[in-house]
Amino acid sequence: MTNLDRDLLAAHAAGDTSALVALYAQAAEAANNTDQAAFYLTHAHVFAMEAGHPDTPALRQRLIDMGRECPLPAPNPPLR
Amino acid sequence: MDHSTTDLSNVRRPIETANGLPNGHYIDAGIFEEEKQAVLFDNWAGLAVAADVPEVGDAVPVTFLNMPLLIVRDKLGHVRVFQNTCRHRGMILVEEPRKIEGAIRCPYHSWCYSTDGRLVSTPHVGGPGQNTHDGIDRALLGLIEIRSHIWMGVIFINVSGTAPAFEDAHADLLARWSEFDKPLYHGGAGSSFQLEVNCNWKLAVENYCESYHLPWVHPGLNSYSRLEDHYHIEAQGRFSGQGTLVYRQLTGENGKTFPDFENLSDKWDTAAEYITVYPNVLLGVHRDHTFAIVLVPEGPEKTVENIHLYYSAAQTDPDLRARNTEQWKQVFAEDVFVVEGMQRGRHGPSFDGGRFSPAMDGPTHMFHDWVASQLERHRSAPQAAE
Repeated sequence: MTNLDRDLLAAHAAGDTSALVALYAQAAEAANNTDQAAFYLTHAHVFAMEAGHPDTPALRQRLIDMGRECPLPAPNPPLR
Repeated sequence: MDHSTTDLSNVRRPIETANGLPNGHYIDAGIFEEEKQAVLFDNWAGLAVAADVPEVGDAVPVTFLNMPLLIVRDKLGHVRVFQNTCRHRGMILVEEPRKIEGAIRCPYHSWCYSTDGRLVSTPHVGGPGQNTHDGIDRALLGLIEIRSHIWMGVIFINVSGTAPAFEDAHADLLARWSEFDKPLYHGGAGSSFQLEVNCNWKLAVENYCESYHLPWVHPGLNSYSRLEDHYHIEAQGRFSGQGTLVYRQLTGENGKTFPDFENLSDKWDTAAEYITVYPNVLLGVHRDHTFAIVLVPEGPEKTVENIHLYYSAAQTDPDLRARNTEQWKQVFAEDVFVVEGMQRGRHGPSFDGGRFSPAMDGPTHMFHDWVASQLERHRSAPQAAE
């Protein structure tokens, strides 16, 4: 098991979303191919969205640029 | 019991000869289900209060008539009500009250929703690392939103989506209490309390609507608020309740009172009114505070009453607030033996729904008549066939 794997497991166990964003982004950088990178970037993006992390728009744009994600839809008005 | 056979004709007669709703409407699980749709889902039912989600991102899961719902204050500050169910595999999204910092992430496969309900991510839906798929149209798969409206601090929902707009359905009540259409400040944690009562939710309404019981059940009121100081409030098919002409403000030891709501007319110097917004919200207004009681039906013979007190200013005297809470808690607790007693009484098989005092029970009969009208509408509709 690599250090990154250990750190990811620890972050999952701790529910440390901010660390998960950083570690999955790091995993994407270290990936051997585009599919693997997209997989890890997806996780970084999901946890970033959940946390309202400031990197969320940039992570999403990277996935869009890779053809793996689409832009956000327009906001919905409340149903009254 | 075949609930389609309950005879409501006696309920709909003039009060002088009317009976109340038959026993089954208080004790029968099948009729409870029928009323759930006809009375509670097809109208604007009270669910909770906006103060339950005071800050942006606050999310509170609730179960209402077995429906898992999620109350959210979205990023723009709007209160919304969603089904608390992921559109993917039906997983419950939020288990405990919490703050949504960014998106609502399903704990199962991590589909993500914005706080306004949009489906914003479907990770790996097209295979590993591919987050879109032609067969998954996110625009059609946002959270299922329940129609909602906030008034007097209460979150009303129309589950069926078929009721007229809230402002139209309750236009005359909104006009009647337009002087209270201003910011209401929830008194905080000490200004909420809950009562669990072993009765059908309608009995709490019926008791609330009339002043007849006050001298017997609330003898403490006799000292200044006599039966003859009260009047009926009756709007057929819409709302009913009672008012008093001798409301007296709570006064602290130093003579301090709560500040009044601004620009009230002279009537409210001594008047107070207590109205049921059909079906299940009990409201009270006074010159210096209001309250809301949301009746949450938990079954044919169990109801949770969520009570909230509101003031005209964000900052009011905490000791006085505590006394006011205690005072209302005592009054509402005095009603418990009545509603629970009426519930047990409805297991008497020969009870015929009872009779009404033509002089004193008008607002209560009006509620019975309205419930019966909703059931008749539901039974006559094609979709009522079961």
